[in-house]
Amino acid sequence: MPDVDGPITRLGADGISRRFGSVVANDGIDLAVRAGEIHAIVGQNGAGKSTLMRIFQGLDRPDEGQVIVDGRPVRFRGPADALAHGIGMVHQEFMLADALTLAENLILGAEPGRRGIIDRRAALDRAGQLADQAGVDLDWGQLAGRASVPDRQIVEILRLLYRGADTLILDEPTAVLAPSQVDRLFGLLRSLRQGGHTILFISHKLHEVMALADRVTVLRQGRVITTIDVDAVDQDALAQLVVGETVEPPHREAGEGGGGIVLDVAGLTVAGPGDRPALDQVSFAVRAGEILGVAGVAGNGQEALIASLIGLVRPSAGRMTMQGDDLAGLTVADHRAAGIGYVSADRAGEGLCRQATLTENAIAGEHRALAGEAKGWLMPGRCKRRARTIVDRYQVVHGGLGRPVAELSGGNQQRLLIGREIDRSPSLVLIAQPTRGVDLKGIAAIHRELLAYRQRGGAIVMVSEELDELIALSDRILVLCGGRSMGIVDRQDASTETLAPLMVGAAAA
Amino acid sequence: MNGAVPRALEDGLRLAMPFVAALLVGAVLLAITGRDPFSTYAELFNEALGGPSRIAATLTAATPLIFTGLATAIAFRAGVFNVGVEGSFYLGGLTAAWVGFAWIGLGGTLQMLAALGFGALVGGLWMLLPGWLRARLEVDEVVTTLMLNFIAIGIALWLVNGPLLAAGSANSATPMVVPEARLPRLMPPSTLNAGFLIGLAALVIYGVWLRLRVGGFENRLVGLNPRFARSVGISVSSVILLAIVLSGVIGGLGGATHALGVVGRFSEGFSPGYGFTGIAVALLGRNRPVGILIGALIFGALTSAGTTVQLFADIPLDLVQVLEGTVMMLAVVEAVRWVRRRRAVGAAAP
Repeated sequence: MPDVDGPITRLGADGISRRFGSVVANDGIDLAVRAGEIHAIVGQNGAGKSTLMRIFQGLDRPDEGQVIVDGRPVRFRGPADALAHGIGMVHQEFMLADALTLAENLILGAEPGRRGIIDRRAALDRAGQLADQAGVDLDWGQLAGRASVPDRQIVEILRLLYRGADTLILDEPTAVLAPSQVDRLFGLLRSLRQGGHTILFISHKLHEVMALADRVTVLRQGRVITTIDVDAVDQDALAQLVVGETVEPPHREAGEGGGGIVLDVAGLTVAGPGDRPALDQVSFAVRAGEILGVAGVAGNGQEALIASLIGLVRPSAGRMTMQGDDLAGLTVADHRAAGIGYVSADRAGEGLCRQATLTENAIAGEHRALAGEAKGWLMPGRCKRRARTIVDRYQVVHGGLGRPVAELSGGNQQRLLIGREIDRSPSLVLIAQPTRGVDLKGIAAIHRELLAYRQRGGAIVMVSEELDELIALSDRILVLCGGRSMGIVDRQDASTETLAPLMVGAAAA
Repeated sequence: MNGAVPRALEDGLRLAMPFVAALLVGAVLLAITGRDPFSTYAELFNEALGGPSRIAATLTAATPLIFTGLATAIAFRAGVFNVGVEGSFYLGGLTAAWVGFAWIGLGGTLQMLAALGFGALVGGLWMLLPGWLRARLEVDEVVTTLMLNFIAIGIALWLVNGPLLAAGSANSATPMVVPEARLPRLMPPSTLNAGFLIGLAALVIYGVWLRLRVGGFENRLVGLNPRFARSVGISVSSVILLAIVLSGVIGGLGGATHALGVVGRFSEGFSPGYGFTGIAVALLGRNRPVGILIGALIFGALTSAGTTVQLFADIPLDLVQVLEGTVMMLAVVEAVRWVRRRRAVGAAAP
């Protein structure tokens, strides 16, 4: 151990560069994560965070520069090497075996025991020990497939500790959590720090960084912009560092959503997987020029609501009326024909077709109308013109209309998707997680588009797990819990304090 | 146009790869048994393509594979693995033969067209049940279509041994199709017939449909990502039903041209597995019109060389079978990759 002044670098980068073709993902990155700190890394999509983390994990190697562990350069040949140095990563997608219990998942790959017989008691003892240390309470006998998302995440973390990791890398760990669950995770991370663990925390959400981290490193275009103490900066200043220029907050016209009723929903009910309905007797109305936000902890009926409103799921009871026609039970094509657009939360799996070209994605859903004027022929010129209009209007940066959509960045995919749905001038757009995985600049652009559509008299039903987003954009917010409506909160009353109790099922005041 | 040329080149290489690999395997076998691979292959090549009559034989052998390959590809493009083209081919052939010898009242060309049309119709109807089961109830089409093959072959055999057995014939065959209802020969005395041209036309229509028609567009989107297709308002179940039935129609048409063009009747052993070779043709041809044509021609060349090579040259038929088998095996690799891809897309669905 080198004897130097100041804190020891537990994990660091010394001039790391990594190029992919002409793209420089990491450009001479210097980083020093001190032992026992929570160090956040922030940056927009494509700033180079993931590449750096892959290098820290041994999944990728730098073209130049070195990884530093405990002050000395090391070479990782794979994740096992990284783990041998005490460095483990919790991925966005959990890698647990669903058919095994949480305790079995914990010890998987390093089972205690001898001669092939697993010592289950030792395993449970160790599991309990780790949980105590971390200050969490888990039902270790539960199957991983049945465990809740936060519990699965905690097992992921404990598994790394069990394997001897004392330095944890967490990639957007709160993306899958509800606000109340975030507090529990942060509590766990703080108590790990207390126990001397080092944590590298990657996030898009600056308020979380402000709340949790000791220091933060800002990456922009593959370079380190700065590393600062969180105490020395406020959130706006940090946002400016991330983006590199000032982000205008979306300008929202004050006008009330005063138009006529576009969509009237009454007693909408959708059967659930168990005995309880996924959506239970929900009623509301949306007016022209109004954004109705839908808040709730993930999995409380938002998916069922949106899916039934676009016709992907047939409601078991209730009405949804547009211009006097009840659409409940009709097909997606009928819903779209009635003037509804749909922006799926699953951009890559449902909203767009990754292997199809930009043009094909841009005209999908409208293709029958396009071909209808030409007796069923999809004329390439006409399709291309339509696609170009959308791509230009919504500023999708692309490498050619004939290229597959998979080549677009997440933000550009989302702009294409939203553009496709809004540009047809539907009277209502259903939009789920409009800015998930999109960077700050992209978020601002998407918010501008949604507000502009509202200004033109469009109606929006917007589901989001970002309360800030809902509060910033919505005219009214419907809160769902357990598939039931907990009430609709008006814009002037909407705040985290008023919404959070409703989201966990407290009756409306 | 950007990217079109490299893509065509890449497709060509992918198509050629299994055949090159097969030739290498064959060369090793030949060398081990003490033959000169080069001269043997030269002879084989000569048997398949040396001179107009050999080329005509190769095109004739390729014709049923164009149909079965195309039939399989239509379903593949919609994300459906139709293994039942063989059954449609059988029943389409039987129907066409029956119309061809029994409906003499129609006379001449009309009778021929009726035979082709009804053959295609029966081939399509045969796929209605598995199509409906898959589209409405999500019953795995691989199982249903495979099982239906056995039933189709059973029905056909029963018919040609009973009600449709030619009078005075001891072997299982229908009476001969009347000469006016047979497909015109293109290069007499070879058996190359108008069926080949019909196959080419079907490929062209398929290509245009896929690129420029609403139906083809929806077919492709459903095959690429059914969840996406559903969310933009495409009726996934109707597209799938249509794809399976169209697949059967082309399979039936293939059987009809085979009966009217080559065999002149329907008899036991009508198809030596054209439906199954068609799966390999579609897979290796990446479900594209030109790919299917090339795949069918290569298999056709192997078959036509195989039939005569033993008679006139000192080449064992086993060599041809080894070559075919190796290509098939590599096609299966492609099939497995296809199924994996489909499963990956399906797994993303809730």
